[in-house]
Amino acid sequence: MKRNVVVVLAVIVALGVIAWAGVANYRKRKADESRAKQPVIVLSKASDPGSVSAGGDETPPFKNPLENKQAPQFTLKDTSGKKVSLADYKGKAVVLDFWATWCAPCKVEIPWLAKLHDQYASQGLVILGISEDDLDPDDKAALFKQKQEISESATKLGINYPVLLDDANVAKPYGGVDALPTTFYVDRNGKVVAATIGLVDRDEIEANIKKALGGGEQAQKGQS
Amino acid sequence: MRSIRVRVATILLLAASLAGAQKLPWESGDAQTTKQFVKFLYPEQVSIAANQDSVVELHFAVNPGLHINSHTPHEKSFIPTQLIVAEPQGVTVGPVDFPPGTDFALTSIPNEKLSVYTGEFVVRAHVKARAGEYLLQAQLRYQACDAMSCFPPRRAPVAVSVVAK
Repeated sequence: MKRNVVVVLAVIVALGVIAWAGVANYRKRKADESRAKQPVIVLSKASDPGSVSAGGDETPPFKNPLENKQAPQFTLKDTSGKKVSLADYKGKAVVLDFWATWCAPCKVEIPWLAKLHDQYASQGLVILGISEDDLDPDDKAALFKQKQEISESATKLGINYPVLLDDANVAKPYGGVDALPTTFYVDRNGKVVAATIGLVDRDEIEANIKKALGGGEQAQKGQS
Repeated sequence: MRSIRVRVATILLLAASLAGAQKLPWESGDAQTTKQFVKFLYPEQVSIAANQDSVVELHFAVNPGLHINSHTPHEKSFIPTQLIVAEPQGVTVGPVDFPPGTDFALTSIPNEKLSVYTGEFVVRAHVKARAGEYLLQAQLRYQACDAMSCFPPRRAPVAVSVVAK
C-alpha cells in the first residue's frame, strides 16, 4: 500500500515536471519567434533609397545608425600583430572601411580608398580597413593561414593603410555591419558624419571624406 | 508489478527532462535567427530502395536580385557553396554533386568573372540507407551578394524525410 502511494506520488511529480517543461518550451519558442521577427539591419544603398533590398522585399532606405554620434571606441590588431586603437587618431578624420576578402564589391572600392588616402593623408585623413573575414582563434595553424590570406589580399588590392582584424566583433557597436562594404566617416572630433552600405561611387566617397575632414575643422573652430 | 511501475515513472521522468531540453537541430545557430537569402524548396520526403545507392535531388532557390558563389568559385578567396550533412544512424550520404556555376560579372568590374548560382538550382546527394524511416538534416552553406554588396556566409536549413524500403 505504502509502495503504491510512493509510485502514485512519483507519477504525479513526473506529470507536473512534464507540464512545467512543456510550458517552458512553449514560452522559449514564442520568445525565439518574436526575436526572429525583429527587424534586421537595412541593406539598401544609401544613395538609392527606392531600391529593392537584397531579399527581394521593399525595405526603408539605409539610415546611419551612428549619425552625429561619437564613433564607438575599439582596439584591434593589424595584420602584423600591432595594436591599433581608434583613440590613436584623435584630431584626425578617420574612415573605417569594413570589408572581407570574399567581398567582390569591396575590391572595387578599395583601390579608390587607397588613392584617396594618398591624396588626403597630408590633410589629416586616416583610413582603417577592418576585415570581417572569419578567424579561428582556437586553431593556431588556421589562424595563421587566415591572417596570411587577408594580408595577401590587402597587398594585391594595393591597400596602403592599416588592415585590422575584427576578432572582437567591433562591427557590433557599429550596427552589426551585415553587408559589406560598410564604411563610416568619422570627423576630427570623433563624431560619425556619414556612413554607407554597399558599393558607392568614388565621388560620394570623396565627398564624405571631405565632410569628415572639414566637419571637425569647423567644430574645432567653433570650440575655440 | 513493481518493476512496471518503476519503469513507467522512469519513462515519464525521462520524457519530462527531454521535453525541457529538446532543441531541434534547425533551431540552433544562424539557420533559425538570420534572414536567409537561399531557401530549400523540396523534397520534404523521398522514398528510396533500402541498401542501394540512390540520388536525392535537393532543390534550392536564391532570392531575386542575388547571387551566391558556386561550389567552385573562380577565385580562391571566395566562399564556395557547400552542403553540410548530419548523417542519421543507418544512413550514409556519399558524394554530393553541385551544378556548374554560371559566369557573372559586376558592372563595375566587367572583366572579372564570378562563378555563381542564381534563381533555382539543384544539388544531387548520393544517399544509401538501411530499411527504415529517417530525418535527414543538412545545411547549405553559402555566401550571397547583390550587385552592390555582399553578406556574410549563412547556412540554410534542409530537412528531408527519407523512407528506405
